[in-house]
Amino acid sequence: MAPITQASDETNHQALLDQLDLYAIRKPFRNPNWKPPQRRNKNVKQILSEASRKEASVLATQNNSGSSTPAAASTGGVATPAAAAANGSHLNPNIAQAAQHLDRLVLEKNQRAATGGNGGGPAVTYTNVESAPSLHPSSQRHYCDVTGLPAPYTDPKSRLRYHNVEVYGLLRTMAQGSSEQYLAARGAHTVLK
Amino acid sequence: MAPSFANDVPAGSGRNSPKPEPTKLWGVSEPPFEGFKPIDTEGYKRSNSSTAIIIDNGSSNVRAGWAFDNKPRITLPPLNARYRDRKLNRTFVFTGSDVYSDGTARGQAKNVYEPGSNIINNWDSMEGVLDYVFVKLGLGDAQGGIGRPVVLTEPVANLAYSRKTMSEILFECYGAPSVAYGIDSLFSYNYNNGKHGLVVSSSYTSTHLIPVVNSKPLLSHATRLNWGRFQSAEYLQKLLRLKYPSFPAKLNDPQSEDLVRDHCYVSDNYEQELSRYLDWTGLEDRNRTVQFPFTEQIIVQKTEEELAKIAERKKESGRRLQEQAAKMRLEKLIRKEQELEYYRELLDRVQNTTKKEARTLLESDDFDDEGQLEKKIKEMDKSIRKARNKDLGDEPEEEQEEPTFPLLEVPDDQLDEDGLKQKRQQRLMRSNHEARARAKAEKEREKARIAEEERLDTERREKDPETWIEERRAARHAIVAKIKERERMKAELGNRKSLVNQMRMKTIANLASDTPTKKRRRGGGDDDTFGADDADWGVYRTVATGEQDSDDEEEDLNSNLRKLEEQLLQYDPNFTEDSTREAETDWTKSLVHAFLRGPYPYDPEDQRQSHQLHLNVERIRVPEVVFQPSIAGVDQAGIVEIAAGILNERLGDSAYRTEIMKDIFLCGGNTLFQGFEERLKNELRAVMPADAVMKVRKAGDPVLDAWRGAAKWSGTQEAKQSFVTRAEFLEKGGDYLKEHSCGNAFQSY
Repeated sequence: MAPITQASDETNHQALLDQLDLYAIRKPFRNPNWKPPQRRNKNVKQILSEASRKEASVLATQNNSGSSTPAAASTGGVATPAAAAANGSHLNPNIAQAAQHLDRLVLEKNQRAATGGNGGGPAVTYTNVESAPSLHPSSQRHYCDVTGLPAPYTDPKSRLRYHNVEVYGLLRTMAQGSSEQYLAARGAHTVLK
Repeated sequence: MAPSFANDVPAGSGRNSPKPEPTKLWGVSEPPFEGFKPIDTEGYKRSNSSTAIIIDNGSSNVRAGWAFDNKPRITLPPLNARYRDRKLNRTFVFTGSDVYSDGTARGQAKNVYEPGSNIINNWDSMEGVLDYVFVKLGLGDAQGGIGRPVVLTEPVANLAYSRKTMSEILFECYGAPSVAYGIDSLFSYNYNNGKHGLVVSSSYTSTHLIPVVNSKPLLSHATRLNWGRFQSAEYLQKLLRLKYPSFPAKLNDPQSEDLVRDHCYVSDNYEQELSRYLDWTGLEDRNRTVQFPFTEQIIVQKTEEELAKIAERKKESGRRLQEQAAKMRLEKLIRKEQELEYYRELLDRVQNTTKKEARTLLESDDFDDEGQLEKKIKEMDKSIRKARNKDLGDEPEEEQEEPTFPLLEVPDDQLDEDGLKQKRQQRLMRSNHEARARAKAEKEREKARIAEEERLDTERREKDPETWIEERRAARHAIVAKIKERERMKAELGNRKSLVNQMRMKTIANLASDTPTKKRRRGGGDDDTFGADDADWGVYRTVATGEQDSDDEEEDLNSNLRKLEEQLLQYDPNFTEDSTREAETDWTKSLVHAFLRGPYPYDPEDQRQSHQLHLNVERIRVPEVVFQPSIAGVDQAGIVEIAAGILNERLGDSAYRTEIMKDIFLCGGNTLFQGFEERLKNELRAVMPADAVMKVRKAGDPVLDAWRGAAKWSGTQEAKQSFVTRAEFLEKGGDYLKEHSCGNAFQSY
């Protein structure tokens, strides 16, 4: 409850807040019975791991059901399942065989879905659209961690890159913590797990 | 440090002259509060149940308006603050830039997005933002749902969970009849009439490259680089925190975003520009000084007039004092002269009367004998003369009379009691006198010795100047090394774990312990000989830290160094003004100073200067990350490499490759940097086939065209078929999506 801009001072701040407040405004377009699901706020990591777990479990169930189908199904029929499917126009009385076909169909559908609907190729997911690590030689260029200038040298003790002897003098007088922070800016710091 | 002091002298390169104060100081922005925005019901009245509400749900700004508008009616940062004020017993909700109006609201504000990503993380805030959008669009009277279709943008390859939750909210909470999702950059490309091309969209939290063929995105070739303006601002903030570790003010997120936007630019040729960025010439143009608000330390400033008055008063009182003193002196002198006159008269009388009378005369004036009176007269005469001379201003050298000690020669038995007393006194005085003379002689001798030394030194210099200079240089080098060593020690003492500090702790423990180990090891036994050698006390020097430590010694070193340098300057032709330590450590030659403070002098006491940030290398270093992500430790390829990969490899044998190359399309707020387009063009040119025709263009409005594109698209025939209706949502699930030319591919998990 304190004004932080020129827009208001002590005298008219409360009035401004009353004007801006959205809580007091009626919102009849909202469903009064809407109850947000609990714990719906998830970060990217959680969402991704849940998605991949779900995917894995779906595939696993299908594999299991496929392999656990009794072999008797194929021995019951004279033709191979594929052949049976081909001439499946007439009613096939073998329920076990039909169940196997259903499995296959679901599996195939899922595989198709997994390969993505957009004209072949692997499916586009949030993780695999990320660009790959650079292979270009330019990513080997070194820049001074302090000044950002080109850095031909590296301090073996702190692993910091530096531009010239003057910057080196600065590195030597640096405390342990701050050299780690410099490394962190370049993503080269030590992470303790 | 190598012991070669011969190359201690840098070649030429004089000091630089400091530049005049910067003419333009840049400031930092206030909290970006935009004031109250009234509810706009005009659009709602014009709309009907098929007019879509267009929301560009961006991570920097959410933009919303009606499909028939030509620009979004509402723009707000995706922030929402909801808190309960206990004093007023009332809940407040502030959304968008309104959170910047109040301290508490700003503190409570939650971002809709996960920091640094384009994925929604806080759905309560998202609801708050949508509430704000619908209220301000005039839907406040719509009962039981918004009753308008919604077109919403989403990130490339949006997560199924995010889409599901968003659909849930739109259909179930807001009762939307139908919803369509699309990718912002593709809307922008569509709006700019693109058909075949490569969309390079660098926005707030990420950078995407999507090839488009026949107005259809090839999403399987889409690539994301996790870098945008948000990361740039964060990186700049990180760099500045390292650059000014003890900066008194705080740089907040919106401010650092403003700094990136106002001062950074993409360099044409990074390597080349970078290597001369801190060169002295033109540094004042490259260096931007950002002034933070500060309070001047209160020094009572007096006006010229007041100062003059004070000086006058001081002078006046001084003069009065002087006058008074002179008067008093004069009075004293006169009195003394009168006294002297009186004594002289007395002496006359004493000499002219009988012995007895003379005695009574002397006694009445407390004199023992005539001698004492004479002495007194002599003394007074001297002091009067001195006082007179002082008044006149000159003080002639006192001619020292050699004192005589006549009684000392006389044997004791020839003296009476009085005489003995006097003899004792005289002896004392003589020894005093002799001691003084000895000290004087000593001084003379020392002087002579120094003169002799100097003479010898000069002789040696004249005989063999090279060795002499070499020696001097060695001495100077030793002192410089010592100074440096001291600096290092001081620095190391700051580090608790350094060897120096460990040794110090050891010494302290040793001194404090009852049975000092060191002594025992020496085998000294019980007898403590501490102090026998003066060097023993040096232990306390190593123990003491802080300023009091060796301040005088440092002075000593510095004065010695100065003396040596003076000599070298005089006699060594190779030793110039520039090779003195003072010149060597001159700030105008310091690269680090140029980096930290630009080409201007710096006074740490000055509040104004200590509240200044200097942006120089950062201006090109920060936006460069999109081209070289490894600078900021992002282990991904830069956009040029990605673009080359898509155009040369992934689409290497596509029939549309040449078409795509003719339209490299830039959009998104992060492409607004000056020089971005040219740089991308130049770098792509270098990696493309030589004969390929290549064109790079920027969206008409890189920021708003995504919204406009979505608005335009919502009216097309394709769009009509791409809306997911409420029935479809209920049947097919929350993450269901109809694919269209500006949207993501559908996949279910």
